[in-house]
Amino acid sequence: MNDDATLRAQMALDGELDAANQLAFERELERSPELATHYAELVALREAIRAQGAGETAPQALRARVAALAAPARRWPLRPAALAATLALAAALAGFGAGRWRGDPTLPTLVAFYQRAALSGQPVDVASSDRHTVKPWLAARAPFGALAPDLAEDGFPLLGGRIDILDRRPIPTLVYRRREHLISVSELPLAQSGAGAATLEGYHVERWRDGERAYVAISDIDAAELAGFVNAFARKIAP
Amino acid sequence: MSGEAAKRRFREIVLPHLDDAYRLAKWLTGNGADAEDIVQEAALRALAALESTTPLKPRAWWLAIVRNAALSGIARRRPTVELDDTLVEPGPDPEAALIARDEGLRLARAMASLPASLRETLALREIEELNYREIAAATQTPLGTVMSRLARARAALSKILKANE
Repeated sequence: MNDDATLRAQMALDGELDAANQLAFERELERSPELATHYAELVALREAIRAQGAGETAPQALRARVAALAAPARRWPLRPAALAATLALAAALAGFGAGRWRGDPTLPTLVAFYQRAALSGQPVDVASSDRHTVKPWLAARAPFGALAPDLAEDGFPLLGGRIDILDRRPIPTLVYRRREHLISVSELPLAQSGAGAATLEGYHVERWRDGERAYVAISDIDAAELAGFVNAFARKIAP
Repeated sequence: MSGEAAKRRFREIVLPHLDDAYRLAKWLTGNGADAEDIVQEAALRALAALESTTPLKPRAWWLAIVRNAALSGIARRRPTVELDDTLVEPGPDPEAALIARDEGLRLARAMASLPASLRETLALREIEELNYREIAAATQTPLGTVMSRLARARAALSKILKANE
């Protein structure tokens, strides 16, 4: 096969032929078994190349380091007057930019905990995939114990748990894994958190509550996957 | 110390395309450790550039920085080809997974053995999914050269893959 035919086959593969030439190429493809074989090889090669790259994600530690480069200047905690002004502004802006963070002051702190955990490479105080180990450990240290549902069969193995300090109070935080990514779930007193999805510093945040407490899930997996996690979590702990 | 506006643009432009950047860097360097260094270096350059620019095509702009960082990195140190074992996620069927992993490894080796200019052109086409004109602009190469590089890269990969069958 000559160079001309090779180049035309490649242009067809790359979608660079105009309509007339594409038609002519397809007719030639039917006539020439040699060309058909060559074209099939090109297609197979492309599929192999794309399959190899597909699903590969940046390592968690790299993501955390890059995110840390552009972390906003620390603004919390604020003095009460400034906090009130911020909350008033947030209330005024409610409805603007649906799905964005609307000023819940606990969120930047929780996202910072997530970042620290991912950066340090030690996201948990107690490392175990066994909920019966993690649950009592947290219960002994926080005023209300984590439920620590087992989500391994949903594709979110449990990595362990840790205690975060929020407003001078210990709160239990569970850490799950999705491929190379971490998902943290903190359980808060009911009064402490709103509900809904938000994006903060490139991290996705989901907040929800049931009759007894509020939950905040944070991760760098995409928003749809995080919503899937929240569904699985809420289903497992439903009474 | 970076300005808050630059950081905000960085979070909007760079963070969502970090996986693409890592994939591209890994392709260009042939190994994960160098790819991490390159993405981090590119991120620093991007953050500095965002002080004074707002790119019109954010993804293309960011990947071009990654590519340049990779190429200057490759020029500095001799490329080493180290392949890890995790190129392909193992599937439920162990035998199929083994074959897929083997093919993935062979392909990765073959790509790493290409001359840098061919590897770059192929990466622009298959990972960044640019068309010929865009590749020519990005590499400052005539259109005809882009096409011949692509053809040579593909012919070389096909040959290596077939020879191993």
